[in-house]
Amino acid sequence: MRGGGDTVPEPSDEMLLGRFADGDATAARLLTERLGPRSYSVALRMLGNRAEAEDVTQEAMMRLWKMAPDWVSGQAQLSTWLYRVTLNLCVDLRRRKRPDALENVAEPADGAASVVDRMQDAARKDALQAALDQLPDRQRQAVVLRHIEELSNPEIAGIMDISVEAVESLTARGKRALAAILAGRRDELGYEHG
Amino acid sequence: MNWGMNMADEETELDHLFAQARTARDVLPDALAVRIETDAEAVRLARSAPKARRVWRQWIALIGGWQGMGGLVAASAAGVWIGFSAPTFLPDPVDYFALSETTYLLADLNLDETYLEDAE
Repeated sequence: MRGGGDTVPEPSDEMLLGRFADGDATAARLLTERLGPRSYSVALRMLGNRAEAEDVTQEAMMRLWKMAPDWVSGQAQLSTWLYRVTLNLCVDLRRRKRPDALENVAEPADGAASVVDRMQDAARKDALQAALDQLPDRQRQAVVLRHIEELSNPEIAGIMDISVEAVESLTARGKRALAAILAGRRDELGYEHG
Repeated sequence: MNWGMNMADEETELDHLFAQARTARDVLPDALAVRIETDAEAVRLARSAPKARRVWRQWIALIGGWQGMGGLVAASAAGVWIGFSAPTFLPDPVDYFALSETTYLLADLNLDETYLEDAE
């Protein structure tokens, strides 16, 4: 696995894209490390299937490589563009084929944790994914971008092409719906009744 | 919502689930990274193809793509074929220039008489 959150803070994504358009192969590697995980993370949460999320991420990044020479500086954040392309690809894929299962969503568990803890962690992640899958597309997008990707509301508004107020409404309704869906699984997930 | 607890606890537990989901947020599978970088290299190499090849592609595009190119080749081939094996009802232009049986000599023009007449 490659980490992309703490590497190469400079130059900017836009500068790297310009360097790639000029034929710099190194820029592609840096952009992959920086932007690839974001696209993959969102695709995984939107689709609930690793293989499909990988295909969507590869396609989104391919579109990035192809449009590099045409990118107009300052028109938008590159990450905003990539999130939007990724979400659109996810919606297209879900329309063509409903997600078949949640089988691959659980992440590798911490080796130091006990077996029970690891099973409970996996169950919680599966439970969250199962609950996310039950949300309408727009609510799920807003919740994933806000609470898993930790983007700001204005940035989410730019990605989803809606107002900040609409983002706040979608995330609030999404969280309420998630809580309602998860309410029946509290014991299974190891949360004690208060 | 109601998990049998107060609103603050519900928020905390949901936030806990989100926090767990975020643990894998910045991780890209190696195999996927290789696929993405391979795509990037293919795009980069295609973009930096030799200029002559790009000019050739532009020229083909100018005449209507490969369909136009096909038409041009077919028309050229037809022209060559007609040149070597012309239909019988068409006159052979070579006859006009190379195979004429009439011979013209300068002596036949009676230039002397012409000059004499002018002198007189």
